[in-house]
Amino acid sequence: MTADTPKPAAADALASAATRARNELARLVSYIIFGVSAVYCAWRASSLPTSRWEPLGAGSFPKLVFIVLAALCLFAAIKSVVDIQRNGGMPEAVYAFGRWLKIRRISFAIYGLLVVYLGVLSTLGFSLATFGFLLITQLLIAGVTRRTVIQSVIAALVFSFGLNMLFADVFNVFLPRGVLIAF
Amino acid sequence: MLDAFFQGAHQVFAFDTLIYMLIGSVAGIVAAAIPGFTVTMAIILTLPLTFAMEPLQGISVMLSVYVGGYTGGLISAALLGIPGTPSSVATTFDAFPMARNGEPGRALSLGVWASFFGTIISTLVLIVAAPPLAVVAVRLGPWEYFSLIVFALTIVASLVGNSLIRGLIAGVIGLGLATIGPDPMMGRPRLTFDMDLLAPGLPFLVVLIGIFAISQLLGEVEMQGKKVNHALIPKSIDFKTWQVMREVLMRPVNLIRSSMVGVVIGALPGAGGSIANLLAYDQAKRSSKTPEKFGQGIADGVVASEAGNSATAGGGLIPLISLGIPGSAVDAILMASLMVHGISVGPRLILDHADLVYGMFIALTVASFMMLVVCVASMRLFLRVTDIPKQFIVPTVMICCVIGAFALNNRMGDLYLLGAIGLVGYILKCLDYPLAPLVLGVILGPIAETNLRRALMSDGDWTVFFTRPISALFLAAAVLSVIFSIRSIWKAYKKDNGQKSAVV
Repeated sequence: MTADTPKPAAADALASAATRARNELARLVSYIIFGVSAVYCAWRASSLPTSRWEPLGAGSFPKLVFIVLAALCLFAAIKSVVDIQRNGGMPEAVYAFGRWLKIRRISFAIYGLLVVYLGVLSTLGFSLATFGFLLITQLLIAGVTRRTVIQSVIAALVFSFGLNMLFADVFNVFLPRGVLIAF
Repeated sequence: MLDAFFQGAHQVFAFDTLIYMLIGSVAGIVAAAIPGFTVTMAIILTLPLTFAMEPLQGISVMLSVYVGGYTGGLISAALLGIPGTPSSVATTFDAFPMARNGEPGRALSLGVWASFFGTIISTLVLIVAAPPLAVVAVRLGPWEYFSLIVFALTIVASLVGNSLIRGLIAGVIGLGLATIGPDPMMGRPRLTFDMDLLAPGLPFLVVLIGIFAISQLLGEVEMQGKKVNHALIPKSIDFKTWQVMREVLMRPVNLIRSSMVGVVIGALPGAGGSIANLLAYDQAKRSSKTPEKFGQGIADGVVASEAGNSATAGGGLIPLISLGIPGSAVDAILMASLMVHGISVGPRLILDHADLVYGMFIALTVASFMMLVVCVASMRLFLRVTDIPKQFIVPTVMICCVIGAFALNNRMGDLYLLGAIGLVGYILKCLDYPLAPLVLGVILGPIAETNLRRALMSDGDWTVFFTRPISALFLAAAVLSVIFSIRSIWKAYKKDNGQKSAVV
């Protein structure tokens, strides 16, 4: 080990400071988004007309809430900037964001599938859309092998067509029927 | 009086009534165990089935669904970290970590026993104190309600997790989300940005499912460099029924305090299990000698939440039986079922139909025993959920959430909101925002606003909040609660700093 190589404990501390700075940066972005949204909502709420029947109109309570939110976000953002500086300054944001996404790639893929599923639900109908969503999601999590394909097809059939029948026939609750295919 | 009691008992203990109650209990537990399905939904689905029954038989079946439903929510709360119903939000705080620490059986067992004792205690209070409590409960005006909500909002301090500021931001975001849609007094649309999707507001259940369930399910499949197709709780299950019963009984103060919180909150019209479990949890944490252990899988947290929410079952019946005022949506459905049979619910109910009222007391007790038996007998079956690989459980529970959100209003728009709120919940979870204060804000926001505006409409003078004794009492309790929280946070901060300087 040369004199220039950092000691393990010091390296850990550096890594941990960098992680803290990365997390804090992500939170700082969230404070800014929430803060700006709160200011906009407070402005929208203040433009609501007052009521002649009561001292507080429809806009007073939301205005109060969003002003408090904006103030809290401002305070949190200032604290966050101080924390980032204390932990070694702005980290490499693009690298940090890329790593953050990579860890959660399956979660975001499933979320993407959920969005597509909800989007096509009214067109394809509950049974068909659910069958597709369940099948793809299960295979995405478990990986594609002969065994997982068979298991996933059975589970998808039971929880799509089976569940639809259960709700319609037993509980009289009718789940969305498709426009193209009336399952 | 004794005649009426025996008449009621005779009807409840009839063989067919007991069988129907057993089916109702199982149905309530299963319905509430599915995220997105509430006790109210289960009761609504049961209502038409009771039309052909005798009034007491019908109400007994609905009470068993009610009691079973309050307990069923704990199953998904403990095993999946997703509250099965809004009443089991606080149960996730400790039951889920306990299950993840290798004690899923103990977590469920604690919840079941706490629910059982909570229901029994609330039934006793219902029998003894129904008339006086009901009179107090209905005398509360908007000033008292607003002050009560201010007090309840101070719970946020107990739910903030790692960061007070992020907890407060989450709580205020919840209050903000609740203001979207028609204004609760005049119905004027606000913050809808001319979008049809937002015009009816954000349904509370959709927010709850999106924030807790979708974020938790997406969190389950994060890679973190590992394979993800294993079971959620891989360790073996140990289910020590009797030992856990003793464990619950060894916490009499927590059990009784949480049950009383449940009874009082249940007796207040408009409040209910969704507030009671959080308030009971908060009180247990504040009075604990080891508050820092809350949220890490402590038994006191599970007992407080489950006893608190189950005790609202008895509490909610107090104004219903004494004055004919339903304390919650479920109580309104119970009232409707009596009215279908031509029974007028009001102050004369106990005089005109004493057998029915005593029968309801007995049915509530029988229902809690039935819930206990069903849970103890079937818990091993429920625990098998933990053996199911994530590849099946995650997408299937997601579908249940979608059905739950849709079945609420039969509206596709609610599903789009679910998707959007789910993403927000997941990102907040990734950024270490506590989610419970957000849900608390969504629950309490509309009640706070309605009562504040109602109070100021009646009397524009702000000092009335301080001059009405019960309102002043709640506000004083809120101030004390804030002082106590600041003291606890300061102590924890000093302790942390002391440890850091010791390390350095």
